[in-house]
Amino acid sequence: MNKYLYDVVIIGGGPAGLSTGIKLAQKGLKTLLIERGRFCGAKNLFGGVVYTSSIKEIVPEFPEVDPSPVERPVTEEGYFFLSKEGVVKILHTKKRADESFTALRAKFDAFLSEYALKKGIDLAPKTKVIDFIRNNGFIEGVIVDRPTSFEDPSPATIKAKVVVIAEGVNRLLTEKAGLVTKTFEPEEVVLAVKEVLQLPKGELEARFGLSNNQGLAVEIFGEITKGLPGTGFLYTNKTTISFGIGIFLKSLMDLNLKPYEILEYAKLHPYFRELFKGSETLEYGAHLIPEWGIKGLPKPYGNGVLVVGDAAGLVNPLFREGTNLAIYSGLMAAEAIFYAFEKGDFTERSLRRYEELFKDSFIYKDLVMLKDLKTFLLSNSHLFQVYPEMIYDICSLYFSAQGRYKRDVIREIFGIIKKKRGYWGILRDFVKIGRFLW
Amino acid sequence: MLNILVSIKQVPDTTNIRINPETGTLIREGIPSITNPYDVVALSLACELKQRYGGKITVITMGPPQAKASLREAVEFGADRIILLCDKKFAGADTLATSYTLAETIKFLQKDDPFDLLLFGKQAIDGDTAQVGPGVANRLNIPVITYVIKLQDIDLINKKIIVHRKIERGVEVLEASLPVLLTCEKELCATPFVPLEQVIKATKAEPEVFTAEGPVIFTREKLGLKGSPTQVKKVFTPELKKQGKIYNLEEVPLEKVIEEIIGVLKEKGLL
Repeated sequence: MNKYLYDVVIIGGGPAGLSTGIKLAQKGLKTLLIERGRFCGAKNLFGGVVYTSSIKEIVPEFPEVDPSPVERPVTEEGYFFLSKEGVVKILHTKKRADESFTALRAKFDAFLSEYALKKGIDLAPKTKVIDFIRNNGFIEGVIVDRPTSFEDPSPATIKAKVVVIAEGVNRLLTEKAGLVTKTFEPEEVVLAVKEVLQLPKGELEARFGLSNNQGLAVEIFGEITKGLPGTGFLYTNKTTISFGIGIFLKSLMDLNLKPYEILEYAKLHPYFRELFKGSETLEYGAHLIPEWGIKGLPKPYGNGVLVVGDAAGLVNPLFREGTNLAIYSGLMAAEAIFYAFEKGDFTERSLRRYEELFKDSFIYKDLVMLKDLKTFLLSNSHLFQVYPEMIYDICSLYFSAQGRYKRDVIREIFGIIKKKRGYWGILRDFVKIGRFLW
Repeated sequence: MLNILVSIKQVPDTTNIRINPETGTLIREGIPSITNPYDVVALSLACELKQRYGGKITVITMGPPQAKASLREAVEFGADRIILLCDKKFAGADTLATSYTLAETIKFLQKDDPFDLLLFGKQAIDGDTAQVGPGVANRLNIPVITYVIKLQDIDLINKKIIVHRKIERGVEVLEASLPVLLTCEKELCATPFVPLEQVIKATKAEPEVFTAEGPVIFTREKLGLKGSPTQVKKVFTPELKKQGKIYNLEEVPLEKVIEEIIGVLKEKGLL
């Protein structure tokens, strides 16, 4: 008789695993969540925006929770186009302040895990899954690195009807489960590096023109990535700023750049140097983001097993959805598991329900729509190089046109366009982008 | 069977700590809390002894509500009973008030079932005083052995213990009768890789909370800030001492080095 018997075991305490756990516990399924970090969130990283609508699916009382896991509501959102000399900003004030919030994972995931514990899951932090219990092509549980008990030093084995893999981007266990055959290529992942910067007291509000309950979330294009395909981001937290860059691993390798070098380079830009003056780096982190696209996705189900979140490749890079999709995939996994328990069948046949739900969802449709994104971005890297510079140059000319014949100014503007990209080039780019998104 | 008490403290993780250069005080904001590493040694020893001799582990700590996290960690090591002393009236205690509060609590806890072994860390890494363990032993009127690096033997029948204790120039081997209070050095015991069931149990463990009102009866004047005669006069960052110059005599001739030393001594007016 096995010491550890569960209905479901979840591997990984990020938003995907925790949402699955919360949903399962609410229906009374005996669930164990295994997390390798010191606590949920200890090893996790993201840029920093969470969306109310998806969180409400698992924590209905959100954002009215105490203590709150979020930093600031996003009240201003937009884009920065960064040239070598300066920046052009497009910002809009949001109609609703409670749609999205900035957050830090160490706090946010810890909040979700507290919530899941209250709902009744069992949690095993500081524990690593080393393998599965297999039987005739079935996954029937997991084996962890910790001993079974003080008396029995052999690695603990945990039996479960269903194992949910929520291990994140490195998908080692997904591979071990036989759901994906190859490891990923450098052009299939984005490496994100991020710093959390502390500004002198009161300076955050002053420099960004925010009050205490307002927050800013911007994506940055152009010089921030040295014109490489990728983006930068800047989010305001309570007293700190999350500032980072995401770039295809391949670009970094081609140019022999180290991740922190590119972030240091960005911080030296005249605009950011001034903006971050007197700041102190509290945290530095780096993490991979899967951009496998629809073709590179693992098979998300098997006999007695499901894959959710980043491990399943559920990221929409263009619309900054990762945490969001992780939560939705957790919900769908939970639903498929309920279905399997109803039927008393934990084979592929009933767990395929997860993929059916997934294919009906907006997530899948989005991934289909963006199926060639990485190829598109990598083969159109000039978009990140040419346009931010051009937009800045045009604005510079336009806003200092006083005391001159305006037709000359306009002529000069067209001159810039012609020189930087050419009319045909621009037209081609528009058609390309249009066709890609359509 | 051994009845063990372990006293622990939650401290700021000093590996990350920074000092505000203007005020000279610790910047505590955003610094994660950990269980004092020497107290983890005490917990590890308790864990090992419980496996070997059987028995019961009671763990106490005094601190704010978040100190619960350290008590949960104690459960991983096999703690059977965890108690949090949490009250505003306990706050601001120096080592005198802390020793008093802990000693009274221990007296209360061992009314029916006296402890054989009381384990403390040798010191907390935030205050570095190393006074609370001995202070408690004194109030309980039991022997104390500080800076223990090895537990050689426990004789449960004759109620005796033999331990090694670190002293400035060597090691003392001491025998004491139980009950005894030990303060633990790093070398005493390695941290065990605790089993899965303890880890799961720990996340759900809820400590008993003792306040200034009860169940232990305290003399109010001896608690917290009121009971603490220690006054912090000044906090300052010690200046970094300048490092001496080091010459390799295979590269620089001896005469030149001697000249240089004489030069420096003259410059400082010492010669």
